[in-house]
Amino acid sequence: MAAMWTLLKVFLTVFCLSLIQNSFAVQKNKQDLLTDKVQQMTEWNNKKSVIKFNGDKFKQYVRTAPRNYSVIVMLTALQPKRQCSVCKQANEEYVILANSWRYSQQYSNKLFFAMVDYDDGADVFSQLKTNTAPVFMHFPEKGKTKKGDTLDINRVGFSAEAIAKWVQERTDVQIRIFRPPNYSGTLALALLFALIGGLLYLKRNNLEFIYNKTFWGIGALVIIFAMTSGQMWNHIRGPPVMHKNPQTGQINYIHGSSQGQFVAETYIVFLLNAAVVGGFIMLNEANNIKGDSGKRRIIALVGLGLVAFFFSLLLSVFRSKYQGYPYSFLFK
Amino acid sequence: MADAGVKTEIRSSMWNPGGLQSLLTFVILTLTWIVAFSSRLFAVIRFESIIHEFDPWFNYRATHYMVENGFYNFLNWFDDRAWYPLGRIVGGTVYPGLMVTSGTIHWVLSHLNIPVHIRDVCVFLAPIFSGLTALATYFFTKEVWSKGAGLFAACFIAIVPGYISRSVAGSYDNEGIAIFALMFTYYLWIKAVKTGSVFWAVLTALSYFYMVSLSMGGYVFIINLIPLHVFVLLLMGRYSRRIFIAYTSFFIVGLICSMQIPFVGFQPIKTSEHMASAGVFALVIAYSALKYTQSFLSKAEFKYFFLVSAASAAGFIFCTVVGLTWAGYIHPWSGRFYSLWDTGYAKIHIPIIASVSEHQPTTWVSFFFDLHILVCAFPAGVWYCVKEVNDERVFVILYAIFASYFAGVMVRLMLTLTPIVCVLAAIAFSKTFEIYLKDDSPKSSSKEEEEEKKQDNKNDRLYDKPQVAKPKKVKEDRPKDQDSVGMNIKTIIVIALLMMLMLFAVHCTWVTSSAYSSPSIVLASYNHDGSRTILDDFREAYFWLRQNTGDKARVMSWWDYGYQIAGMGNKTTLVDNNTWNNSHIALVGKAMSSNESAAYDIMRALDVDYVLVIFGGVIGYSGDDINKFLWMVRIAEGEHPKDIRESDYFTPQGEFRVDSAGSKTLLNCLMYKLSYYRFGELQLDFRSPPGFDRTRNVEIGNKNFDLTHLEEAYTTEHWLVRIYRVKDMTNRDIVKNQAMPKVKPKKRSKKTGKKKTGSIKHKPVVKKGKKLSKSKN
Repeated sequence: MAAMWTLLKVFLTVFCLSLIQNSFAVQKNKQDLLTDKVQQMTEWNNKKSVIKFNGDKFKQYVRTAPRNYSVIVMLTALQPKRQCSVCKQANEEYVILANSWRYSQQYSNKLFFAMVDYDDGADVFSQLKTNTAPVFMHFPEKGKTKKGDTLDINRVGFSAEAIAKWVQERTDVQIRIFRPPNYSGTLALALLFALIGGLLYLKRNNLEFIYNKTFWGIGALVIIFAMTSGQMWNHIRGPPVMHKNPQTGQINYIHGSSQGQFVAETYIVFLLNAAVVGGFIMLNEANNIKGDSGKRRIIALVGLGLVAFFFSLLLSVFRSKYQGYPYSFLFK
Repeated sequence: MADAGVKTEIRSSMWNPGGLQSLLTFVILTLTWIVAFSSRLFAVIRFESIIHEFDPWFNYRATHYMVENGFYNFLNWFDDRAWYPLGRIVGGTVYPGLMVTSGTIHWVLSHLNIPVHIRDVCVFLAPIFSGLTALATYFFTKEVWSKGAGLFAACFIAIVPGYISRSVAGSYDNEGIAIFALMFTYYLWIKAVKTGSVFWAVLTALSYFYMVSLSMGGYVFIINLIPLHVFVLLLMGRYSRRIFIAYTSFFIVGLICSMQIPFVGFQPIKTSEHMASAGVFALVIAYSALKYTQSFLSKAEFKYFFLVSAASAAGFIFCTVVGLTWAGYIHPWSGRFYSLWDTGYAKIHIPIIASVSEHQPTTWVSFFFDLHILVCAFPAGVWYCVKEVNDERVFVILYAIFASYFAGVMVRLMLTLTPIVCVLAAIAFSKTFEIYLKDDSPKSSSKEEEEEKKQDNKNDRLYDKPQVAKPKKVKEDRPKDQDSVGMNIKTIIVIALLMMLMLFAVHCTWVTSSAYSSPSIVLASYNHDGSRTILDDFREAYFWLRQNTGDKARVMSWWDYGYQIAGMGNKTTLVDNNTWNNSHIALVGKAMSSNESAAYDIMRALDVDYVLVIFGGVIGYSGDDINKFLWMVRIAEGEHPKDIRESDYFTPQGEFRVDSAGSKTLLNCLMYKLSYYRFGELQLDFRSPPGFDRTRNVEIGNKNFDLTHLEEAYTTEHWLVRIYRVKDMTNRDIVKNQAMPKVKPKKRSKKTGKKKTGSIKHKPVVKKGKKLSKSKN
């Protein structure tokens, strides 16, 4: 902060000096205007890491010529009535980035982060010919904006790291992202453990369920089903839940190729696998059940039916995904 | 399937059960071995007896070197033909188990006067070992459950595609053999836990040593799973002296043995991957010490003693581990293993790990593709292992859960899941068949007697399982329908299950034949009439390199082809599939993604003579360098962010395209130029314009260009491999500055010394004709 203040003092003195000189030298006018602007920007930036512009200010501080600083501008629509949920996420990331810059070692008045809300400066949007939000743009020190000066959100996304990389490309300023640590995960875990511990403590007189094999068996099976139905793939790749064809409105639960899968599809597979295993267990338990043979027969047949039916269903789902697979069981 | 049929006979055989049973077991296992061997021969029969893929070529080359030069020279081998100019210390950076195995087989055969080329040993090593794997799985399952389940498991593992994918003839790699070592180690471990004898524990450690000599990933799996087993047994209160003896002797002998491998060295006591085993070792000893003190301390004393010692031990261990890690004696987890736990890690930090397709997560389709019905059946096996738990079944359950987790994270770890899936599915099937194959007429086989001995506490089994002769009599008197579900239904169930198993066998054969049996260095395409065309471009190009380039010629290519160029072309490479030096790879990536003159500087700096690229645009081969190109850019960007930017290679819309809409940087980079040099002149058929890329289905964007610093040296028949020669530096440009002073010939007095002959003035000068040929650029 001390550095900031000295900087500001320097600027103030420069500012005063230039004020004095102003009356004498007209050609100094430009220089003076620039200092003025920089000073104003710095002042704003001291208050808030992301400077908020309306249409006029945007024109004055970003669009007009004498400038010795680059500005990154986010065009966004944060008002609730605009219903832009992406904007909110983007804004959070953007603020993280701006804060990382604001409190970093190499902070200087060469680069500012700003934003324009659609409801404050609709003219900015029309001026820049954008009709989407959020948009990240870079306004370089000199010259016009080029092709790469708009961040391609569709390709790189808008995580703070991605924006920082883009900023580095455009301005050669490297910003190390510092995220405020997220304690929610740790907290949830601690809460979970506390809950389990509490339950165990409450039920300390009756810990039978720990020795309950069915409980453990179901636990083991759930893990295995989750893994063999590709939940880990979902976790890493983050596929959509299902696919809705925009033309016909038809909903696809099954991904068409063997390379991908939808979330809904994996749940279906999970259930199919579980049904087959259930069938196997019924087949085996049919013999152990006490009672008349009719009951046993029914259970055995139901078990077999489960195994055969759901296995062939699984096979046909697989067949629909794996082109050219020749075999099927019971039905296609 | 025939085996399952034969098993029926085991049950129905009454006469001399012991002898017949072992004969049948023997016959079935032999048949299993033959089936396992022969179903892996598709590639050899269709093509020829060659080594497949990429890594096997290095293994083959190393084996060949070992056989030629002896084991000690092999350990000291410094390979100056790889990673030019760095070279590679092969002996110290390789797991020698594979080479020693095939070398030993070759040595034995040649001493028996059976002349076999080492290449044939290498090609057929994996199929032979798959038979051994089936045997090891049989013994493992027999220990865990029953003989019948063991036979089922052996049959399953012999043909299951998840294992065949790594062990077809010609894929001469660690993994095919490591699965044998894995299952054998686990069998010995189970045996050690059951008997509690030092003998079996030491055998486990020796088998573990063999596993360590084979590969990295597999042995880490063992050295974490076995301690976990011990730990869970402790938690369950199943600690016994048997476990103490088994684990401590295994740990110590295994640790010392594993450190004998040069490449492993002191890793077992330094890296975090092995910390769990050491921790459990300490825990087991502490636990047994407590047990011992408990025997002569009073209860109150013991409680106090326990608290103090537990707290101090925990604090001491924690401080030591933190201190040693901080001081740098213990390394944190290596990248590949770290990416198993934190699944987002590799994608962000190590593109070279993320770029390998084997390191991708697994879809349910690949589970089903590789395991078919077993993937639905094996959880039932887990269920019964939980229900009828004992010491060794705890191990099976843990193995199943962890292996399925790992297989979900990484496709290649499907291989470790496969054996346990076979074991557990075998348990499920064998249990079902035991119930339903049995005749209701009182017959018994010794097999079931054994079963009974294990589970004699289960009274409800008396219903369907006659124990020995005595209860049988009782059962005979019972009315049949009360006894069981009835003969017809039993038959239906058995036939349905057999049909499913038959489908499994058919599926396995189909998958093996269609998906896992292509050597990938020889491609085959099928015409409309079913006839086959073989594209042998890779070997054509490597043979050209071998024959037509100098002995010391250095070939630059992307790292995928390094081992093949070294193995088949016998030339020096810059980077290869042993991706130990990321910055060197990044340098090659940078050369490939820069423009020609910038690349020329890099190539001059690296002494490159030839550049080799794979181009699939003519035949529509999708695994070519242009499709891999973005990884080159990414890896290059990781090391040289100033010069290479991934975004430059995309269109403004963020697409990667090679047609005229593609980015200028892409259309002018070295890889593009080398792939598409003179491709614009080629019209493949009349429907498409000249320069139409069949892989990406576009007309290329930059057609008429010339190469300045390289020249085309060789292009194979289908353009699959293109080789370019790097030109020498051109002669200096013609001097532009004419004012440069001409060096005047020194004036010599012609009349000094002994040359006293006179000279004719104004002698007519004969002008010599100029040679126009450019012999040297």
